[in-house]
Amino acid sequence: MNKDDSKPTLTARRAFLGKLGGAATCAGAAVGVAALGVIPAIAAKPEGAPAGAAASGASFPTKDYDWSKHQWGFGVDATKCIGCLRCVEACKKENSVPQNAHQFRTWVERYVHIEGDPEVHIDSQQDPVNIAASGSEKEFRFANRYKDAKVEKAFFVPKLCNQCSHPACVQVCPTGATFRTEDGVVLIDSTYCIGCRYCVQACPYGARYFDEDRGVADKCNWCYHRVTKGLNPACVEVCPVGARVFGDQKDKQSPISLFIRNNRVQVLRPETGNAPNVFYVGIDKEVN
Amino acid sequence: MESIIQFAPYTGWVYPNETVFEWSVLIAVYPYLTGLVAGAFTVSSLYQVFGFERLKPVAHMALLTSLSFMFFVPVPLLMHLGHPERAFNSTITPHLSSAMAMFGFFASFYVALLLLEGWFAYRPFIVQQAQARTGLLGRFYRLLTLGSYDVSERAMGYDKKWIFALAVIGIPAAHGLHGYVGFMYGSLKSREWWSSDLMPVIFLFSAIISGVSLLSVLYVVSCKLRKIPVDLACLKGLAYTIWSFIMVALVLEALEFANIVYKGREGVDMIMQYVTGPLLWPYFILQFAVGAITPLLWLSYMIWRGTTGRALVVGVTVCACLVLFSVFMMRWNVVIGGQEISKTGKGLLSYKLHLFGKEGGLVAALLTMAPLGLLYILTRLFPPWTDHVTDAPT
Amino acid sequence: MPKHIFRLVSLILGLIVVAVIAKPFLTVDSFYRFGHYRANAVPEIAAKAPVLQTARYCRDCHTERHALWSAGSHKSVTCEICHGAAQGHTDKNKLPIPKDSLKLCTLCHEAMTGRPSTQPQIQLPKHNPGQQCIVCHNPHSPKIVANAIKVTGDAAAGKKRAEDCAGCHGAEGNSPNDTWPNLAGQSAAYLARILGAYKSGDQKNEIMSPLASDLSPADVQNLAAYFASVPCKPTPPAVKPVGNGAAGKVLAENCIACHGESGLGANPAWPKLAAQKPGYLVNVLKAFKAGLRKDPMMAGVARGLSDTNMADLAAYYAAQSCQPTK
Repeated sequence: MNKDDSKPTLTARRAFLGKLGGAATCAGAAVGVAALGVIPAIAAKPEGAPAGAAASGASFPTKDYDWSKHQWGFGVDATKCIGCLRCVEACKKENSVPQNAHQFRTWVERYVHIEGDPEVHIDSQQDPVNIAASGSEKEFRFANRYKDAKVEKAFFVPKLCNQCSHPACVQVCPTGATFRTEDGVVLIDSTYCIGCRYCVQACPYGARYFDEDRGVADKCNWCYHRVTKGLNPACVEVCPVGARVFGDQKDKQSPISLFIRNNRVQVLRPETGNAPNVFYVGIDKEVN
Repeated sequence: MESIIQFAPYTGWVYPNETVFEWSVLIAVYPYLTGLVAGAFTVSSLYQVFGFERLKPVAHMALLTSLSFMFFVPVPLLMHLGHPERAFNSTITPHLSSAMAMFGFFASFYVALLLLEGWFAYRPFIVQQAQARTGLLGRFYRLLTLGSYDVSERAMGYDKKWIFALAVIGIPAAHGLHGYVGFMYGSLKSREWWSSDLMPVIFLFSAIISGVSLLSVLYVVSCKLRKIPVDLACLKGLAYTIWSFIMVALVLEALEFANIVYKGREGVDMIMQYVTGPLLWPYFILQFAVGAITPLLWLSYMIWRGTTGRALVVGVTVCACLVLFSVFMMRWNVVIGGQEISKTGKGLLSYKLHLFGKEGGLVAALLTMAPLGLLYILTRLFPPWTDHVTDAPT
Repeated sequence: MPKHIFRLVSLILGLIVVAVIAKPFLTVDSFYRFGHYRANAVPEIAAKAPVLQTARYCRDCHTERHALWSAGSHKSVTCEICHGAAQGHTDKNKLPIPKDSLKLCTLCHEAMTGRPSTQPQIQLPKHNPGQQCIVCHNPHSPKIVANAIKVTGDAAAGKKRAEDCAGCHGAEGNSPNDTWPNLAGQSAAYLARILGAYKSGDQKNEIMSPLASDLSPADVQNLAAYFASVPCKPTPPAVKPVGNGAAGKVLAENCIACHGESGLGANPAWPKLAAQKPGYLVNVLKAFKAGLRKDPMMAGVARGLSDTNMADLAAYYAAQSCQPTK
């Protein structure tokens, strides 16, 4: 500091005002950046609650189907499942899921308690023994491997994407390629996904997979293309024993509303806080 | 199309969709690279901000190292993406709740900061070269001057303030950059091996030791290549830095592991089976015993005995190499190891590293080596040596 | 401010301004409309055409089959499970008819650990091993319903009426030749059904049809009651049967489920075969194969039998005793 300048001179004042103006310009630019770039992004709620559909008046997403009038839910009655795997095959056909035994939108797990064995035996469609029983990776069948064992308890549990209300996968998507719709389905925009697989890692249920051929992440979407046309998801349609239940939770008489009302239902991994929307009846302590 | 995807073998019970490893060795390489960046920058900051004068010989090299490795950080990510041409989707419409999207912004900000700091640090050199050189190189330097050849006292005063400010901002920026990488893993509740509040901090401190070790090795190598004696005070300063941060890193990692074991949450049985089984060698032996404890003991010995001269140089270099190896193992054990433990908590998968292929071992090795090539070019364009004609400003 | 600082700051600000201005141009259309995603993705996904068409789609053309199916026990098994997705299915583009019913049906019906007991299941080695399911089970209405007709006729009245039958079927229902069947000791419900079928025209035979049309319903009941009560005393066949009885025995293992051990009858709805005339048995099997005699199950059975098989089976059953070993 120059001790000679005890009184500010004109040049010094001008220099100071210049600096002030420069600082103000910088600050203004920064605020402008925030306003134009950041605030709209923050304002957009990450879980896809629309503000505009009703306002614009038009029915969204199609003219015959208004998503604000529905809230879809899914139920699984594991006491009924016979493990026939027709749901797995139907889903693969309906949604062009890769024809192999390692990438699924939906699958069925088998739980077997053998007498004297404290560990429960769990297997599913990727198990080599089951692949051998079906003959190829494109067909699905459970091998009858426990027919000679002393089985104490055994049952089948169908699994699929839970379309969580607070989905971890949506939270971690860096681009906004996956999102939750107003009618309660988590969709993937496969033209926007960059294929980073963060969502695949984040899902606690293993519902997602990476479609190597298309370079994007994929998962069950409750056959949204069927649901918006008044049809059931393919897996629900083909289940011969009614182990899968689907419906509109806004309709008190829909199959799912009745299912939830008439049964003690539970969800998988409630401790994650994801709030899944697939409700299970008849699962056991080690199903997670 | 089944031949493209490699299905991992497994034991126990895993979800059907888990038999494909989504994050390969490249995703272990990229935090390794960002770690080296953060660590190298720490050395530069120790000199610029905290006034560790003895680190002056490596201060500018630290900047150049940070910059060259930062340039290569996006490469493993782009190679891994299913649609790299859409990579900017996360920049144009970043999902603010996503750690990965925010990481992109942190990284961009940090690159800008590095470029700025480097520019300020090298300005006098650039100005001098712009006036002396001709041809393409001359034009390059003249472009960098932004048309101003002012190296007066006043201008240098401004530069000094900017360098200081950037170095100060750079500390949280560099550490935030790498901390975010750790946060990306630590914030996931789907995998018990990753889900941890300590993960960002662990990544950070192991990053620092890797960066400082890298700088130590590069410094010794550059001295040998330029046939000048190694500045032992500088090397000792680097050794002290590695030594102190190893201890912190070890404490944090031990704490994290102890937490997992002590809390004993669902899935801990599988974790214990895993670390005492397939992970015994990579985790306890390679990452800890060989890569961390050994350098710690050796450095402690050298510090206690006041080792100097050739013994010091050899000792620090070897320790630095071990630390570099250990930190890579740490990234491997977190990224690959985390995926080898099934989300079910009841099964284990095993990752097979392929040598060839887009995400194979060869590509991983190349990506780790390539920044050194860029560094070489940068040291020719912007010599960091303090014993040179260049007056690199303090 | 030195020139280079000023220029640097201007450069940085300029880049920021460019980025801010460029963002809305670079952002894809419809993004941010409802949330942090491309709103147009939703109708794009919703527009995809369904692959599975549901049974309602099949009903439009396959009305009769659909009616049979929706009234039967397989009504919860939608058509496309067995026949594949109906998208694009037209008359020119037919859906496959599954060839290997054993492989297909056992997907659901093989007895397996974990299947709830409410699911009908079979132990594969014990349930006609190796035989195709559709031989006995109509896949569109697979439950085998044995509707045994209640016979409350008067045997004495029947005996009186039966005097007209002796010409072909022999005294007291023991046929004198190889072509016309023994009636003695036959299941009453079966006799009532087959006579009723001849009478109504469901079953046609140039001899039996006119005869049966003369019978009143009461006659049918009485005759059935009478013949069922008569003990069987079969005469051995005039000509030694051509077929190999031992081979026939092996084949007959597949018939036990309905016709009983050695043809002694398991279910009154279906005829006893023990000691029946071989010529008659061969003729009947041929008639089933040709579709002249109508029974969905027997049609399937007969389709799989060659002439040699038929002869062998006939030889085997002819040699059996019609007296149950009590």
